[in-house]
Amino acid sequence: MHIVVAMRQLADLVEELEVNGDGTDIDRDFVKFVSNEWDEAALEEALTIKDESAASVTVVALDEPDVDQTLYAALAKGADRAVKLTGHDPSAWVRTRERAQRIASFLAHEEFDLVLTGVQAADDLDGQLAGILGSTLDIPHAAVVVGVELTGSSLRVAQELGGGLVGVSELELPAVLGVQAARQAPRYASITRIRQAMQTQKIEEQEVSLEVTTPQVTVRRLYPPEKQGGATMLTGSAKDVATEIVNILRSKGLV
Amino acid sequence: MLAIIETRKIFAGETEVAKIVFYVLALIVLVIFFVGVIRRLVVYNRGRRAPNFAWLRRRDPRDVPEVSERPTVPSSLVTIATNQTIIKTKHKVGVSHWLLFWGFIGLFLATSILSLDYDVLGNASRIITGHTYSFFQGPFYLAYNAVFDFAGLLALVGTVLLASRRWFSKEPQLDYTRAQKPESGYSRARIVIGDHVFVSGLLLILVTGLLIQGLRIDGEHFPSFEQWTWLGYLIGKGFAGLGVGAAAARAVHAWLWWVHVGLALAFVAYIPWSKAWHMLASPANLAVRDFSNVRRLPQPPADNAGYRSVDDLTPKELLGLDSCTKCGRCHVVCPARTGGAPLSPRDLILDLRQLADHKHGIPLLFDTETRPSPTGPMNEDGCLAGEVVVGETLWSCTTCMACVEICPVGIEHVPLIVQLRRTLVDQGAMDPTLQSALQNIATQGNSFGKSSRMRARWTKGLDFPIVDARTQHVEYLWFLGDFASFDERLMDISRTLATVLHANGISFGILFEEERNAGNDVRRVGEEGLFEMLVEQNMNAFAKASFDKIFTTDPHSFNTLRNEYPAFGLDRPVLHYSELLAKLLFTGKVAPGNLMRKVTYHDPCYLGRYNRIFEAPRAVISALGCDLVEMPRHGVNSFCCGAGGGRIWMDDSVLDERPSVNRIKEASTLDVDYFVVACPKDYAMFSDAVKTVGIEDKLKVVDIVELFAEATLSSALVDV
Repeated sequence: MHIVVAMRQLADLVEELEVNGDGTDIDRDFVKFVSNEWDEAALEEALTIKDESAASVTVVALDEPDVDQTLYAALAKGADRAVKLTGHDPSAWVRTRERAQRIASFLAHEEFDLVLTGVQAADDLDGQLAGILGSTLDIPHAAVVVGVELTGSSLRVAQELGGGLVGVSELELPAVLGVQAARQAPRYASITRIRQAMQTQKIEEQEVSLEVTTPQVTVRRLYPPEKQGGATMLTGSAKDVATEIVNILRSKGLV
Repeated sequence: MLAIIETRKIFAGETEVAKIVFYVLALIVLVIFFVGVIRRLVVYNRGRRAPNFAWLRRRDPRDVPEVSERPTVPSSLVTIATNQTIIKTKHKVGVSHWLLFWGFIGLFLATSILSLDYDVLGNASRIITGHTYSFFQGPFYLAYNAVFDFAGLLALVGTVLLASRRWFSKEPQLDYTRAQKPESGYSRARIVIGDHVFVSGLLLILVTGLLIQGLRIDGEHFPSFEQWTWLGYLIGKGFAGLGVGAAAARAVHAWLWWVHVGLALAFVAYIPWSKAWHMLASPANLAVRDFSNVRRLPQPPADNAGYRSVDDLTPKELLGLDSCTKCGRCHVVCPARTGGAPLSPRDLILDLRQLADHKHGIPLLFDTETRPSPTGPMNEDGCLAGEVVVGETLWSCTTCMACVEICPVGIEHVPLIVQLRRTLVDQGAMDPTLQSALQNIATQGNSFGKSSRMRARWTKGLDFPIVDARTQHVEYLWFLGDFASFDERLMDISRTLATVLHANGISFGILFEEERNAGNDVRRVGEEGLFEMLVEQNMNAFAKASFDKIFTTDPHSFNTLRNEYPAFGLDRPVLHYSELLAKLLFTGKVAPGNLMRKVTYHDPCYLGRYNRIFEAPRAVISALGCDLVEMPRHGVNSFCCGAGGGRIWMDDSVLDERPSVNRIKEASTLDVDYFVVACPKDYAMFSDAVKTVGIEDKLKVVDIVELFAEATLSSALVDV
C-alpha cells in the first residue's frame, strides 16, 4: 500500500495580509508561510493507516516558501519519503488547476494506491484540488472525507454531507480523497525530531515541466472585502419588530 | 584489700558457646549488611553519567547563593547535623528526629568503642603480648556510661515521640492513599507495615538495651560506681523496687540480652534492604544536592529525547530515590495534588524507587506497593513515561518547586518530571491545547499564535515612543514575555510600567517583533528542541541590540534568562521589574504618596522560591504606604497559582479546585482589600479566580506597578 499525501503552503492567516502593488495578489514578500491545516489532517490520516497496516507514505508538495519545514515535519512524524516539485516560480501564486496538473504529472510516474489531500485550502475554498486530480488521473474521487477504512482492494469512506448527514461509500483503489478531518488530531513532531529528520533524511527534488500550459483565469483585482453598512437593530414589541421585518422584506421586493 | 576496678565484664553471663553463636551471627549480619551496601553503591555507580557528571559539581563564583550555588560540603554537614531541613517546617517532628538521630549516633559510637576495646585491642594485645589489655575501665568506663546513657535517653525520647506519631497521628502526609488511582486497584499495606517495623523495631532495641543495663546492675548488687551509669542504675533500682532480686535479675538478663542482641543484629542486616537505608542515603543525598538543577534543567540523555527506563537515571537521581523517607511533605504542599490532580511527588518517587530496586534485583523489604495487575511500579517492561508513571500524572506538574523546597532529604523531583515529560513530547502524547501552544511558539514565537509583528502593539496609546533597542543604546532591555505583550488585560499593565519608567527617566528599550517566548515553560513542558530554537532566536535578537542589562516582566522568563541563558552565551545581568521599582524608590528618585491600603502579596514561584527575590516587592509595597498582611503560605512556602511549567496551556477542568482558587480562598480569610501580584500569569490566573470565588468586589487583584503608578504619578492616576 503506497499512500501519497499532497501538501500545500499558504500565507499564515495570523499575519496581516496585504494586497501587492499590482492589486492582483497578496504581498508574498513579508508574510510567513505555513502548511494547510486540512493537508495536515490528510497526512495524519495517512500516518494512521500506516500505523494500522504496512503502508508507506510519500508526501509531495510544490516548491513554495518554507515548504522544507513542512516536508521535514512530515518525515519527523513518520512519512517515508518527501518530494518537492520544482519547475515553477516558487514565489508566485500557483492556481489550483496548475497545482493539480503538476502533482498529477508527478503521480504519472508513481505506483500508488491512494492520494490524500486536504479538502480545501485558503486559496482553494471550493476544494477543487482533489477533484481535478481525480479527473486528471482518471481515478475515483471523494471529497469532505471524515473517515477512511481499507477493505481489501477497495476503500470505504465516510463523507460529511449537508444537514449533519454522513454518507458512506465504497471506492475502487487507486483513488483520490479530499480529507476534511482525520480520525485523530494531527500528531506533534517535536523540534528535536524535525531537526533529526533534517540531518538524516533528504527531500527529493523533481522538476516538473508542463508541456501544455494550463489555461488560467486572469485576476484583474484582488481586494479586502469592502465594508458593508452596519446592521440595523430593530427594537420594540415583538409585534412591532415583526411588522418592521415584513416592511423591509417588502421594500426589498423579496416577498 | 582488693582494689575495685570500675568496669563490667563483657559477656558476663554467657557461655563460650553463646559467645561463638554471637560472633557467628554478627559475622552473618555484617555480610548481609555489606552485601546490601555494596549492591546499592554499585547501582549508583552504574547510573547514567552525563558528560559533565560529578558527585560534587565544581562551584562557580557566578552562582547565586540558594539559587544556583551548590552548598559547600561543610554547610551540608551542618545541615545534616542540625537536622535543619527536617526541623524547618515541622518543628516537633524535626526535634524528635534530631533526638533520635544524635541518640543513636551516640549509641552506635558506644558499641563501636566497646568493640574496639574488646574485639580489636583485647585480641590484638593477647596475640602480640600474651596479656589482654583493656581501656574499658576506671574513669573512662564511668564517663563512657554517663555520656552514653544520656545518648540512650535522647534516642528513647525521640523514638517514643516519632513512634507515637506513627501510631496515632491522622496527619494527611502519613496517609498513603495515592493521588493517581490505578483502575486495577492497589495496596500499600506493606509500606505501612514497613513503617511500623522500622520505628517499633528501633524502640524495642532501645528499651531492651536499657532494661538489660538495669538488670545487669541489679544483678551485680548495685556497685556504687555504677551510679555513673545513671539511667541503668535508676532502671535497676526500679526493678529492685518491684521486687526483682539479684538472682532473678541475672536470670532475666540472660535471655533478654539475646532478645536485644537478636533485634539489634537483625536491624543492622535490615538497613540496606528497607526504608532504614535512608539513614545513610539521605545524608549522602543532602551532601551532593545541587540547587542549580531545578533552575537550570539538565540536558536530556544523549541517546533518547527523555527518560524511558531506569537505566536513564543518573547516579544522583538513584541516590535521591533511595533517600525518600515517605515523610509526605511534598504530597501535602503540591498544588497539583491539592487541586485533585493525579500527581503526588511522593508517589512518583516511590513508584520509581520500587521499579528501580526491582530492576536492579535488590529486594526491598516491606516498602513496596502491590497491585493485582502489573501496572505502575510493577510494570517492569513499561516505559517510565506514560506507562510506569502515567501521562496525566506528569502533565499535572506546575514545576512550582514546592516539593523540592520542602523535601528534607534534598530530592529534586522537578528535573526528573521534566526528563519524563520529554519522552511524552517525543511521542506526541500531550493535551491538544498544549500541542497548539507549542506549534504557535514554533511558528510565531509566542503562545498566543499571533503574528510576531503584533508583539509591540501594546505600545499604541502611549504618548511617548518606546525605544527600539536594536537601533539605539539603552541601559535596560525590557523583555516582556508573551502575556505582557499579547493579553489584552496585561497590555494595560505593560503600558503602566512603561509610563512609570519613562516618567523616571529610565533608559529602556524593547526588541519589538524580534522578541520570542523566552522558553522557560517550553523547556519545562519537555520540548527541549523548541527551547533551544527559542534561545537561538532570542540570542540573535540580543546580539542585534545594544544594552547593559535586561529586566523582565515575567518571572518565568526571568528564571530562564538569569539561570539558563548564560550557558548559551548571555553575559548581561537580568533583573525583575519589581527589583527595578525597588531601586527607583530607594535611590530617592521618586517620592511616593501614602496609599494606606491593606494588601497581601503573592510570591510568584519563579521569582520567590526559584530566584529568592522576596524582599524587593515587599519593600516596594511598604514604601508605597501599604499595610502588607502576609498569607499563611508566603515566601519560600508560597502556593502556586497553577499556571507554571506549561500548565497555563493545558486543560484545568479536570481539577476539583484550581490552585488559584485555593489561593484566593486563603487570601480571603485575611482582612485585606488588594491581592498584589508581580507576574503576568498570576494576574491572569487570579483575576479569574476572584470571579470564580465570587469576591471580585471585595478582593481586587492588582499588579505591583499599578500601585506604584498610583502612588507616584499623581497626574496619571491609574484605576485600581
